[in-house]
Amino acid sequence: MAASTVLRKSMGLTLTIRTVSNIPNLSDWARLKHCRHLQHSTSGARCQTACRSLHTSAGLCHSDEEGAERERGKDVVNVVYVDRSGRRIPVKGRVGDNVLYLAHKHGIELEGACEASLACSTCHVYVSDRHHGKLPEPDEREDDMLDMAPLLQENSRLGCQIILTPELEGMELTLPKITRNFYVDGHTPKPH
Amino acid sequence: MNENEPRPLYMDFQATTPMDPRVLDAMLPYQVNYYGNPHSRTHAYGWESESAVELARKQVADLIGADPREIIFTSGATESNNISIKGVGRFYKTKKKHVITTQTEHKCVLDSCRALEAEGFHITYLPVKSNGLQLEESFRPDTSLVSIMTVNNEIGVIQPIKEIGHLCQSRKIFFHTDAAQAAGKIPLDVNDMKIDLMSISGHKIYGPKGVGAVYVRRRPRVRLEPLQSGGGQERGLRSGTVPTPLAVGLGAACEIARQEMKYDEHRVSMLSKRLIDKIMAGLPDVIMNGDPEKRYSGCINLSFAYVEGESLLMALKDVALSSGSACTSASLEPSYVLRAIGTDEDLAHSSIRFGIGRFTTEEEVDYTAEKCILQVKRLREMSPLWEMVQEGIDLKSIKWTQH
Repeated sequence: MAASTVLRKSMGLTLTIRTVSNIPNLSDWARLKHCRHLQHSTSGARCQTACRSLHTSAGLCHSDEEGAERERGKDVVNVVYVDRSGRRIPVKGRVGDNVLYLAHKHGIELEGACEASLACSTCHVYVSDRHHGKLPEPDEREDDMLDMAPLLQENSRLGCQIILTPELEGMELTLPKITRNFYVDGHTPKPH
Repeated sequence: MNENEPRPLYMDFQATTPMDPRVLDAMLPYQVNYYGNPHSRTHAYGWESESAVELARKQVADLIGADPREIIFTSGATESNNISIKGVGRFYKTKKKHVITTQTEHKCVLDSCRALEAEGFHITYLPVKSNGLQLEESFRPDTSLVSIMTVNNEIGVIQPIKEIGHLCQSRKIFFHTDAAQAAGKIPLDVNDMKIDLMSISGHKIYGPKGVGAVYVRRRPRVRLEPLQSGGGQERGLRSGTVPTPLAVGLGAACEIARQEMKYDEHRVSMLSKRLIDKIMAGLPDVIMNGDPEKRYSGCINLSFAYVEGESLLMALKDVALSSGSACTSASLEPSYVLRAIGTDEDLAHSSIRFGIGRFTTEEEVDYTAEKCILQVKRLREMSPLWEMVQEGIDLKSIKWTQH
């Protein structure tokens, strides 16, 4: 991704143009906006830079295919996020989804400052008691990062290390009131 | 004290110890030259301080058989005890609200337990009579922590730490031990003895005052609610800048203790035997408090019958001694530790604690023994109780009246 960013910048272009195939009921502009919104999904979408002509190879925005599958109900795991104000947000995830990125996709304020590289504790969540035991034992490095998290409890885990499986159906993930990056002025960092 | 008067002999090594000159040598460069903050990540002052602190951490860990990441520097054993007891208690308080300790613990442990009691915990204070600790009977399903000190600071008794550790591990209960008087004096291994939390004090092992450490096990992880909030230093468990010179001093003291433990132990037990034999041979009616077998030889607590302890201390004014621990010496009540082991009240009032350490010499021991015998004889001459006993009256049969 970094190399193509450099390439694009060197060509003096600021737009990333991708072609999309087979999305019903979407105009061209809407498709462009749609793709940019899905820029931080986990699976890499192929993106083509324009050099004075539009390339129209068969690039796919993978997330959309996932969206189609989700509608079909395969491998769906329903989880509930409880955000800082106590609001319950039910979310349909898939088996293999990362809890941190799933939250980002649905606009939940789970900050993942280090992007799941086990270097911070900002994606700290409380797991509902009956699902806490079903998660695999934390890695030693995850435990080290959890030690640094404020308001730690027995059912605390790092969200970026929880991968959804079918047995986690109905899991509730509660966000703690504060993270280590606490902003006393109420500022919330945007996901990057 | 007059400048021309010679200073008293120091025989109170349980209260504190002089700093070993080698420890001072290790600390000085970090006071005046390498003075960076160890948490400064961006320049050489910070890096050199950090590497010194990490080396000190390793030295402390090697003394007790731990991993360096399991050592947290604190301001002393009192803070370490507070962190361990209150931290573990409060973290697990939603499901577990019972803590077990003994009646002979240090005041900071007992006071921390009392603070938890005020927050709604149940605390069991185990008695320590001669039939051993009835630990297993006091376990409950909601017990989260057992806290038992390794070596008692007043009577020198060593608890069976390995057995207690294995028992606690089998029931998934955390085991904390206050090893302030034990670390560096008797061999300790946290993995062999299944210890989850341990408190270490700097100024009891010939290190600087104002620093200590707490060992917090990582596998299986022991979680604590931190007492001191801040920037997350020391694994988030004890925020605040780590004092580099003090930490280096503690590390050096632990390293020296580890290397010289055998030699010191042999020498101290030899001097201890010398002192006890001399006093017992020179005086009748002297009782040693605490278990005669399972004890650390450097802490000798003797009761001289028919003599008041404080008056003996004043009579022995050119030897620095104490009766009871330093933290309870302000009150006039006899020590609660002696009461807990079942000592008669009149004997508890007449107890003196002799401390022998790395720097005690044979001449000091001989002088102390001779002076002690002399003064006890003199005080007994003045004592009406002693007169009555000499005449054959059984003191227990007397009914004392108040008027």
